[in-house]
Amino acid sequence: MTLVPNLMTLDALAVGQSGTVLHITPLPADQMEDGVDLARRLMELGFVPGERIRMLKRGLPGGDPLAIRVGNATFALRRFEAALITIQPLT
Amino acid sequence: MGAVENITGAGLHKPTHQPQIALLGNPNCGKTALFNRLTGSRQKVANYAGVTIERKEGHFTSPAGKPVRVLDLPGAYSLSPTTPDEAITRDVVGGLRPGDPRPDAIICVVDATNLRLNLRLVLEVKRLGLPMLLSLNMTDVAKKRGMLIDTVKLSQELGMPVVETIAVQHDGEKALLAAIDAMLPLPQATPQPLSAIDSVSVEETQREVRRILAAVSNDAADSGNLTEKIDNVVLHPVFGPIILAVLMFLIFQAVFTWAATPMEMITGGVEQLGAILTANMPDGHLKSLLVEGVIGGVGSVLVFLPQILILFFFILSLEDCGYLPRAAFLLDRMMGGVGLSGRAFIPLLSSFACAIPGVMAARTIQNPRDRLVTIMIAPLMTCSARLPVYALIIAAFIPEQQVWGILSLQGLVLFTLYFAGIISAMAVAWVMKRSMGSKTKQALLLELPSYHWPHLRNLAVSLWERAKIFLTRVGTIILTLMIILWFLSTFPGPPDNAIHPPIYYSLAGILGRGLEVIFAPIGFNWQICIALVPGMAAREVAVGALGTVYALSQSGDALASTLEPLIAHSWSMATALSLLAWYVFAPQCLSTLSVVKRETGGWRYPLLMAGYMFALAYGASFITYRVALLLGA
Repeated sequence: MTLVPNLMTLDALAVGQSGTVLHITPLPADQMEDGVDLARRLMELGFVPGERIRMLKRGLPGGDPLAIRVGNATFALRRFEAALITIQPLT
Repeated sequence: MGAVENITGAGLHKPTHQPQIALLGNPNCGKTALFNRLTGSRQKVANYAGVTIERKEGHFTSPAGKPVRVLDLPGAYSLSPTTPDEAITRDVVGGLRPGDPRPDAIICVVDATNLRLNLRLVLEVKRLGLPMLLSLNMTDVAKKRGMLIDTVKLSQELGMPVVETIAVQHDGEKALLAAIDAMLPLPQATPQPLSAIDSVSVEETQREVRRILAAVSNDAADSGNLTEKIDNVVLHPVFGPIILAVLMFLIFQAVFTWAATPMEMITGGVEQLGAILTANMPDGHLKSLLVEGVIGGVGSVLVFLPQILILFFFILSLEDCGYLPRAAFLLDRMMGGVGLSGRAFIPLLSSFACAIPGVMAARTIQNPRDRLVTIMIAPLMTCSARLPVYALIIAAFIPEQQVWGILSLQGLVLFTLYFAGIISAMAVAWVMKRSMGSKTKQALLLELPSYHWPHLRNLAVSLWERAKIFLTRVGTIILTLMIILWFLSTFPGPPDNAIHPPIYYSLAGILGRGLEVIFAPIGFNWQICIALVPGMAAREVAVGALGTVYALSQSGDALASTLEPLIAHSWSMATALSLLAWYVFAPQCLSTLSVVKRETGGWRYPLLMAGYMFALAYGASFITYRVALLLGA
């Protein structure tokens, strides 16, 4: 998938930076955990297009997992989960 | 009671049906605290049929005098489940569980500080067409943060009554009780099938949530709150892991140092009781049964109550204040290295108290393979029942001295034993995950809730529950086993020309000497072998059993309190270390194995677990014993 230059996935966001959710990519069927629709669950937790999010923390080593603020809640995601979320960073 | 109601109601109206209300909400919304407020002690905790998911039901009488039954459903983010917990919630509200009738009404409990997340579930459940009530919980915190919510408008928007509640405050449930009364008798509902929740897309529902929020609240800025400031330190890449390690270490130090005084008091009491009986009873079998069997055996287990309560105090406090998910965050990477999710941390930490709640808590892990591996390694976390065994041997063999001036050597050895359990658990997880060869990626998706002070009343209630469970075990299983063991250890009596203590010739002695053939290579004598057998029902019984065995091996008034110097004299250091290594793996806990059978639905995994743990225990003890002998211990 080619992205417009300004767009990125959530896992690439720097600590303290904010962004707006644009799109959630469903996980390919062969990587799905038995019957769990990860994209749907992310949306249920508030990661829906238009929502403001902020990167709070990155774990060490390797910047995994991530702590992300969405709405008034904070969720810990692994990097591959965050990579499903396309965002527009706010500068 | 039901019969009386039917008679008085006959001819006037239909037999009264006690309305059943279900509490439903996201995890961390204060639902269970509210349930405790409503029902007080009038609750029944059991399991849902066929699964080991806790089913909490209670009843209360409304201010207008109407009896109401209330069910506390497992926390859920959605009715499209990703965990067995959420599946139960979906099935109960959808009326899909044969044993659990569909609730007559639903009280949706929401966290007022986080409506954006919580309201989505409310809109979803509303599509099922059941009578509903919204309990806006934690309104005190919301007000403190400057969040204003127009409840009248919210009620209009949602089309259901809305009340403010503060579950952690006295009378915080008052408005809810009044609203329940106003709802009764419940209107005739036409419930929709579960598929109704998908009549609107997730995105559309979220848009609706945002529209409602814009209309009813001022949406206070979320930056700069205290939780975030604490997280800046607690989740810090360097300080975070240090804080976690220090915290864990302090807990193990406290388990030893804080408990010392109450333990001495219990020992003193048990000794006095034994002395009184010894002085006032005629010699004979009954005196031996009471003094050596009951008081000697049960007393030596009872003494560990303070240590168990201190351990639970820390685990429950950390859980209550919201630290545990942070620890999972910090450890996710490390757990990921052996193929587990950070989510596995919470069940594994619970396993330090007891593997049974740990195995059950594993159901919050979405991935079935992750869940299975977590269940399989849970018993390697040193449970509180192993603590008595460790404590006894450490006290008898490890000198009481300071290391680097501040740390107690005994605490350090205990920490090492716990650490050995963790390391072997990680190794077993790694091997299991590799042999399963799964290609799917595991999601973490863990909420990091706001911090709050542990609620003392809830903490006290939970600790009391733990004490009750422990004392019940002592009074039932352990007492029974001690009596059986006394009989086995006393009969048949010794021959006239006996050269050994009487127990040597008893049934237990014969059994112990038989087992000694297997266990001699790892340094266990026949007395230890006898203790291992009742230890299968409950690990801490091994200590009580040693108490009984050694009391019977001695003359007359030797009591459990003297067990420590006794084993210090009769065991070599190598035997003591070998037994410690054995208990790191301790494959013998029948209750854990039976819970694993229920959770995994068959004999395959419990048998595999018993097998691999026995092999590890024997191997570790063998190496420990042989190495210790070589080093001259």
